[in-house]
Amino acid sequence: MGLLALADKTTAILRRDLLTAIRYRSSFLINVGGAAVELAAFYYLAHAVGPTFHPDGVEYFPFLVVGTGFYTFLVMGIHSFVQTIQEAQSSGTLEILLTTSTPAPTLVFLSAMSSFAASAAQFLFYVGAGLLLYRDAVPAPNLVGCFIIFLLSLAIAVALGIIAAAVQLSIQRGSAVLWLLGSGTWFMTGTLFPVTTLPKPLQAISALIPITHSLDAMRLALLQGVSLTALGREISILLLCAGTLLPASLLTFAYSLKSAKRHGTLSFY
Amino acid sequence: MDSVVFESVSKSFRHRPALFNWIGKEKTGETCALSEISLRIPCASVIALLGPNGSGKTTLLKLIATILLPDAGRILIDGSDTRFASPVVRQRVGFAMASERSFFPRLTARENLDFFAALEDVPRSQRKIRISQVLEDVDLLNAADTLVMKFSSGMYQRLAIARALLKQPTILLLDEPSRSLDPESAIQGRSLIRRLRSTGTTILLATHNLEEAASVADSVIVLRDGRVIATQKLVSSNAEGLSSLYREGKPEPEPILEIA
Repeated sequence: MGLLALADKTTAILRRDLLTAIRYRSSFLINVGGAAVELAAFYYLAHAVGPTFHPDGVEYFPFLVVGTGFYTFLVMGIHSFVQTIQEAQSSGTLEILLTTSTPAPTLVFLSAMSSFAASAAQFLFYVGAGLLLYRDAVPAPNLVGCFIIFLLSLAIAVALGIIAAAVQLSIQRGSAVLWLLGSGTWFMTGTLFPVTTLPKPLQAISALIPITHSLDAMRLALLQGVSLTALGREISILLLCAGTLLPASLLTFAYSLKSAKRHGTLSFY
Repeated sequence: MDSVVFESVSKSFRHRPALFNWIGKEKTGETCALSEISLRIPCASVIALLGPNGSGKTTLLKLIATILLPDAGRILIDGSDTRFASPVVRQRVGFAMASERSFFPRLTARENLDFFAALEDVPRSQRKIRISQVLEDVDLLNAADTLVMKFSSGMYQRLAIARALLKQPTILLLDEPSRSLDPESAIQGRSLIRRLRSTGTTILLATHNLEEAASVADSVIVLRDGRVIATQKLVSSNAEGLSSLYREGKPEPEPILEIA
């Protein structure tokens, strides 16, 4: 598929999702308002904890905002893959979408990217507002480092999302994967507090979760402005995870799709 | 060359039992949807698939559209095997499903078609004209800018046909296209089928409407319990003759049915 065709399909999917979002008027406004309320809650939580708490050497509010914002972005991104399949199954569009000339993985990927864009906008809102409030406490960020970590984390989230979408196709309950990610990793990846607070065995498990390294690296680059060399270890780990998970996820999805076509369960939900 | 070839195709659906099935007693076992189907359908013909509910008509169409894969045998679409060349097959096959739930309800008819046209690789320069053309073909031009969630069943049905025509398919699959149509729209649908046939499109039409089958089809295939029980080339548009064929069927002596 050529780049122009891909851009055309991406535009079509973004347009569809934007039109659908703005036509659910109330929901659109509630989502925007919800993000602002959440940010205010973090601000007052940081105040309640007090100014002496400096996890990983940074103020608690920026720590919290970057941790929660980036974690939410990644998990929502993963969720968007399952949501894409779920919505297509329940709206009855999945089968007909799969009869179009666009390959299924491309369709799922582009549809999820549209939701990813919304999550990215929310993340930028969090970080932008957070850094604006605490600009004196944060040194110059390493933007190149941030970008590299963002891309690698995105690749990992896409891979995990495709695996979750494959589970959704197979057992119609991709949300089981999300539950595992959401509740299991939430407190072990250093979203709200540093991982070093956890007992040693949990720290060992935490180190095996790619999102832990994404959050660590993003905080280092964004809040402490450390160099690319200092980020080397985290970048290598993220690169390894992305390189392993992406091909594995595509194989899993292809298998699930074939299996659903064989068993006639594509439209089940 | 034949447009569609079925070679000993079988398809079954497994009913996996629920956990603790003694609580709800869900049906288990297997349903045979199609059994050893062999067919050759020539280009530019209209074939009506007749048969009661559950006889395998929709399964047969879904196998052609690559939504399902056969358990045994193979299906060739213009020479391409649906198992190994599904991208090529999908480019050639247009499918108007019977389900109303296959559109984005908060988009207008035109926006829905524009979305599907992009996925079908319809060139941007031709998209606007082609969308208007297919909307006109199904008499929905006046409702083009209405949200589809406000459509009636018949309008959904016509929009599904319009969507299937977007890619200008060489093979068109119509699953009960006149199910919710008023008589005038049904007549218009039939003339559209005849027109498409004259331009070289092969059309497979699953229907319960014998009158419709008799008026547009070149041949009929009668399915029952996943088996072809009769085939017949139509020489007149009289539905009376089809009625007995539908009820009683005729066993086929040949494993491969040549419909020409």
